[in-house]
Amino acid sequence: MTATTTTVADIRTAEGTRRRATRSSRWLRNAGWYVVLTAVAVVTVFPFAWMLLTSIKGPADPITSVPPQFLPNDPTLAAYARVWDSLPIANYFLNSTVVAIATGLLNMLVAAMAAYPLAKMRFAGREFIFYLLLATLIVPAQLTYIPSFILAVNVFHYYDALPALIFPNIVSAFNIFLLRQAFRGVPDDLVDAARVDGAGEWRIWWSILLPIIRPSLAAVAIFTFVTSWNDFLWPSLMLHTPKGMTLPVGLAALQGFFSSDFRSIAAGVTMTVIPILLFFVVVQRYFVRGLSGAVKG
Amino acid sequence: MTLRRRLTPYAFLAPALILLGVFVFYPIAAVIYYSLTDYDIVTPPVFIGLANFARLLDDDVLRLALLHSFVYLLVTPILIALSIGLAIVVNRKLRGIHVYRALYFVPAVSGSIAIGLTWRWLFDRSGFINSVLVSWGVIHEPIQWLATPSLVLPLAMMLTIWAGIGYYSVIFLAGLQNVPEELYDAARIDGCNDLQKHWYVSIPALRPQIVFVGVISSLAALKVFDEIYVLTGRTGGILNSGVTMVFYLWQQAFERSNAGYASAIAIVLLLVTLGFSIVNVRLLERGESTAR
Repeated sequence: MTATTTTVADIRTAEGTRRRATRSSRWLRNAGWYVVLTAVAVVTVFPFAWMLLTSIKGPADPITSVPPQFLPNDPTLAAYARVWDSLPIANYFLNSTVVAIATGLLNMLVAAMAAYPLAKMRFAGREFIFYLLLATLIVPAQLTYIPSFILAVNVFHYYDALPALIFPNIVSAFNIFLLRQAFRGVPDDLVDAARVDGAGEWRIWWSILLPIIRPSLAAVAIFTFVTSWNDFLWPSLMLHTPKGMTLPVGLAALQGFFSSDFRSIAAGVTMTVIPILLFFVVVQRYFVRGLSGAVKG
Repeated sequence: MTLRRRLTPYAFLAPALILLGVFVFYPIAAVIYYSLTDYDIVTPPVFIGLANFARLLDDDVLRLALLHSFVYLLVTPILIALSIGLAIVVNRKLRGIHVYRALYFVPAVSGSIAIGLTWRWLFDRSGFINSVLVSWGVIHEPIQWLATPSLVLPLAMMLTIWAGIGYYSVIFLAGLQNVPEELYDAARIDGCNDLQKHWYVSIPALRPQIVFVGVISSLAALKVFDEIYVLTGRTGGILNSGVTMVFYLWQQAFERSNAGYASAIAIVLLLVTLGFSIVNVRLLERGESTAR
């Protein structure tokens, strides 16, 4: 009797130690990964954190001391007030929002239209159009900027106006390929059945296919939104009136305006980064799905 | 089939094709024409034959810009290696891993101008990096990072890599998550350690993603502009130390009003990109045949 209990107790203790051992070794290994993960996060986030800290340092806090002082003793929002008072940040923000939303939605629409026949119809010239689109992926956009600039001034008369940022960016072969892939994922039987029932192609496209590929549509819209929001070179060529600028163009102007006032530059950068980061946090799911879906095409 | 039905596919394609015609194909034709002219955008172009191209042959800045753009391509292998490494690290079930993945994405969505200004401040003569290095005794005098010609390009490349890793590692992560677990088990039974397991299983499985990231990031590297613009304060750096193809194109067209000459630079850029894409495709085809 006693012998048996001892054995059971022994087994229990042994098991307990082993479990504790594996748990603690797993904990140790995980701790190692957390150290690595945190180190990488510091590298990706610290520069912006340093901007934020610089922007809220008070007049008595040194921003260029050796060694660096991290936390402000006397935090203030004065730099934000300076930037807000001297530059039309609210206009920048509004302009960026209008351009990015319009570009995102129009891209979604035009790409969804173009992708449907490429994925689901047979017609003369399909191969040719496919390769034509593929070729546009190789052409650097900057190549087109000189003629596009002249078109903007002489033909479309939208120089220094927001449509100049939207129209040249409505169509992207990349988005068309992404949606073509999404349409191809829809079974042909579904489309054929609708055709037999007498539905027209536009009906099939609008009421049957678009709802099915909604996640890919969202990915296209969100991607284009972020790209458009951050676009700089073309907008900087088109926009010159301060109130008409987008955030990146205004931000580059800020660099000239506050040349060595780093607190204000830091405040400006922080103000422009935070909205897009919040946006990213909200739509992260679609963003990641879009990125991973892009490769299969 | 009625005519109406036969025209339907073209109707769907029309908006995209018309826009591409106006904003891609017409500009390519126009830039070819402008490259044969003397043109300052204000007065009408004057045809001068191949004079712009003759001038290009003797242009030291163009040679430098070409060299810089080729050097910039080094970001591609570095980005691929680091992004795969990061994807492997974040591809495990740990509490809070989603928060980390989101943090890695911060530079990718922040925009190149904000990123450029941020790093400009870090690398300022009296900025954070110098301050840390001096206080640790690594250096005695602050380094003029961005005023040192040999450092401008490497710093710009570092920015591109820093901003790209989060982005590309998401693509590799999606690829890793599709690798069947049995493959790793088999590798372990065959005696692979953790590192070998990734070398023999993960890397071959990620082939499509490597190709994709390789093409996308190298095309992006060939047309880098924003990073150079911000880091050098729109000058291109001392002694043109940061001038790349697109930067030079921009400088000639929009700073110096030499649209004709800039168009000739654009043609060179197009040829380089085309040649590069052909080499890329060839390499891919060869890779595919050896893989089979």
